[in-house]
Amino acid sequence: MLTMIFSIFLHWLIVLLLSPFFVGVIAKVKAFFAGKTGPSAFQPYFDLVKLLHKKCIYSPSTTWVFRLAPVVSLGATLVLSLMVPLGLFKAPVQFPGDILLVVYLLALVRFFMISASLDTGSSFEGIGASREAFFSCLSELALFMNFITLVLLAHSISLSQMIGADIPMSWRLLGPALLLVVASLFIVFLAENCRIPVDDPDTHLELTMIHEVMILDHSGVDLAYILYASAIKLFVFAGILVPIIIPVQTGHPTKDILIFLTGMTGLAILVGVIESSMARLRLNRIRHLLLIAFALAFFGLVVTLWRA
Amino acid sequence: MTTWIDASCILIVFSSLAILATYRIVGIIRIFTLQAFVLSLVPLFLHADALSGRDIMLSLGTVILKAALVPYILLWAIRHISMRSEVKPVIGLGASIICGALLIAGAFWISLSLTLPGKLISDLVLPCSLATILLGFMIMVTRTRAVTQVLGYLVIENGIFLFALSLFEAMPFLIEMGILLDIFVAVFIMAIVLNHINEEFERTSDTLIRSKTGERL
Amino acid sequence: MLFLVVAIPFVGALAALFPVRKMFRLWLLCAVSFLHVLIVASFWTHLPPSEFSGYLVLDSIGLLLLSVTSFLFLSVSIFMVGYFKHEQRRNRIFVTCLLFLLSMMTLVSVSYHMGLLWVAVETTTLLSAPLISFHRNRESLEATWKYLLVCSVGIALALMGTFFLAIAAHDLNTLFLPMILSGASSLSVNWLKLSIIFLLVGYGCKMGLAPMHSWKPEAYGQSTGMVAVLMAGGLTQCSFLALIRVSQICFKTGLSDFLTSIFLFMGVLSLVVPAVFILSEKNIKRSFAYSSIEHMGILILGLGLGPVGIFGALFHMINNALAKVVMFLTAGSVAQKYGLSRGNDVQGVIHVYPVTGVFLIIALLSGTGMFPFATFHSELMILNAAVISKHYALVGIAVICLGLMFIGIAKNVLGLVYGDPTKPVLAKKEDFFMNVVIAAAAVALVVFGLWMPTPLSKVIHEAVVLIGA
Repeated sequence: MLTMIFSIFLHWLIVLLLSPFFVGVIAKVKAFFAGKTGPSAFQPYFDLVKLLHKKCIYSPSTTWVFRLAPVVSLGATLVLSLMVPLGLFKAPVQFPGDILLVVYLLALVRFFMISASLDTGSSFEGIGASREAFFSCLSELALFMNFITLVLLAHSISLSQMIGADIPMSWRLLGPALLLVVASLFIVFLAENCRIPVDDPDTHLELTMIHEVMILDHSGVDLAYILYASAIKLFVFAGILVPIIIPVQTGHPTKDILIFLTGMTGLAILVGVIESSMARLRLNRIRHLLLIAFALAFFGLVVTLWRA
Repeated sequence: MTTWIDASCILIVFSSLAILATYRIVGIIRIFTLQAFVLSLVPLFLHADALSGRDIMLSLGTVILKAALVPYILLWAIRHISMRSEVKPVIGLGASIICGALLIAGAFWISLSLTLPGKLISDLVLPCSLATILLGFMIMVTRTRAVTQVLGYLVIENGIFLFALSLFEAMPFLIEMGILLDIFVAVFIMAIVLNHINEEFERTSDTLIRSKTGERL
Repeated sequence: MLFLVVAIPFVGALAALFPVRKMFRLWLLCAVSFLHVLIVASFWTHLPPSEFSGYLVLDSIGLLLLSVTSFLFLSVSIFMVGYFKHEQRRNRIFVTCLLFLLSMMTLVSVSYHMGLLWVAVETTTLLSAPLISFHRNRESLEATWKYLLVCSVGIALALMGTFFLAIAAHDLNTLFLPMILSGASSLSVNWLKLSIIFLLVGYGCKMGLAPMHSWKPEAYGQSTGMVAVLMAGGLTQCSFLALIRVSQICFKTGLSDFLTSIFLFMGVLSLVVPAVFILSEKNIKRSFAYSSIEHMGILILGLGLGPVGIFGALFHMINNALAKVVMFLTAGSVAQKYGLSRGNDVQGVIHVYPVTGVFLIIALLSGTGMFPFATFHSELMILNAAVISKHYALVGIAVICLGLMFIGIAKNVLGLVYGDPTKPVLAKKEDFFMNVVIAAAAVALVVFGLWMPTPLSKVIHEAVVLIGA
């Protein structure tokens, strides 16, 4: 029992400490491509600390939903991070079917964010809410397809086993299907974390925002919670993706941690490169991109079933 | 070697799906070039342990004809066209992608009841080639621009070629080269006719023209 | 000898590429086709030995197709001498493609390897496409495009069928026809059935069987008469030969029930569909195209009706080609005399050009199978075979459809022949070369309709035995 609580807190410590770093890495890579020095990779930490000191301003048209949303988002994200193994550190909470809980917690966060943005009564946030709702339909479809394939591959419905030790063998046997899963998951990763080509995290133009516009009215501590939650979400998604791409388990603890961190940083750099080299897609093209992700995942599922 | 063959097959199917999901003609031609290049590597993968001159010749022939000359000819045929994307497809892009995914599943389902005799290096070749053929048909049927129809035909031929590669022994080398050459000549003639069409009309327009009796193709 | 008969037109085609005078090229075409006819006539006395280690073999079935092809090209080349006197366009690509086409169609008749057969049929498809768009106007380009795409897809399906055949013959590891026939018991039945379906659809596309017939009215309606003759009388029969080869394999393997039911279905469909469409058709070449679809249906029907039907079908192959010579060449000469853009409002041909008017009537009668033309006899033979095998409903449907075809074509032809004469574009002179060819074909039709020469019936009997129903 005590070890359980200890491992939970250790897990949360790692997640909370490391996740803003990767957001900073992405920003640094983008600045490098733009020819600027840019903010340091640790800037998100300073931003979060600054926001925690500030006072929250609430619009008179909002209700308790608006105040509840940031808390739920951070809380749910922290809970779901408990079920994701991070390299050497096994997930403290694992049981058959925890993958469904992860996806549903993400959906819970999304639900509250959408409700909060609708709660403000401004049509500006309404646009963002409707776009977010639509795109999440498609991206969750692709996500589920990918998870079904991984479940079939690992013969278990627990996230830790799915991206655990079975994957190295599967690359040899079923490399191409996993390739499709990785490609599809990567597109979903970009979509869920509001990266280009799905959403521009830097823009402030009404026509182009999806996620940014939903959090426009939050301030101070609330904003800090929301930013933290999105950083943890990025970290968690990367933590799911990296063990599939680099399924190495040497058994040596330091080496494993190093490989994991290098993989995460590499993924963050890749995201930064993609963000710098592409423009955001037209909104109806995002729908097609997510459908392509779904088709890829579906194809991967078909190949897995064929080989089974 | 099985993984490389599997990866090539899947890449070929994925590129067919990508062609289905693209409207821009130049983009489609580029994806086709990639597909032809991957296809030309497959004979080398299939016989990696005992490479013969025949495999190398086939690979080289495919690269030169399909991956280099055919895109060049097609780009030449559309050099004067200003409108380089699909205008009115029969079904929209999203529906095309979903139909494409269903067709891939259908191809795999059909291959369940077809058992290839003999030793198989990779069992993904048959379903992937069937999937490519079906996707090529879909491209031909749902697009109205003439160039895209030609590219759909080429994707069908790629699928057939992939299928044929697993049947090396029964088909003499000469016949295989004859098939390759025939496909190349077919594209050549199609490009020339396309060129005539472009000169006659201002741009390659809708080819689904109603004939005098009201029949549609 | 077999290599010669394929190579001579090929060399002639290369020679036609040189920049020479128009008329010189036409005389070259005549010379090559005359030489071709001479060589083929020598084959009738004794069949030549096989060459290229069994790739090129001439059997009776191939001999029939080869003679048909030879005669068609001879008639077209003589016709062209007359046609091009009034034609402004250059004929370099035209003649070159024609000569290559002759070479490839000969290759189809003599190839005994299924892969080589496919290569030859595909090449004929590709070579005939530029011929359709000879006049380079909008409609002919559209027709060419339709033809090219539909037939290319069909040929791709036939290629798949050939590969499935190779899989079915996996133990034999060959695609040579005689080896497949001798090892027929070791063919895998499921793959063979799959291959038959693909080959039927693929080569049926090329033949113009319904429901793959949509390119025919456009392609035949837009091309000049000479090209339409070669396509209707030659190319379609080449794919018919491919189907005969397929049925040879099937009958040997014991899949005759499977095959005959498919043949009967496709035959009936190809009879019904043009009968429905022809009644609203006003253009004469397009109605002849529908007649071609119907004749293809009759051929396939004959193939599925046992030995008597196959005899009728092979005889019909020859008569169909002759009738198409009359029909399309006459339509072509009418089109040239009255200007191509006039289309459907030409009338009263018989008052201005009496000979052409008579030829049009002969075209109507021979094309729809009236006594005493030979098409009547071959169609009767096939219907007879249907009665023998107790397909009474089939006979009823066939007779009704043939009647509807007659009504449709008669409406157009008689409207063209009689009525107030419209003014022609060209001078009021009939051309000798054009007329002599049509007259020769008409005479041949009447002769075959009244008397079947013994060598012909012997060769057709041998062919029926070879097919082995």
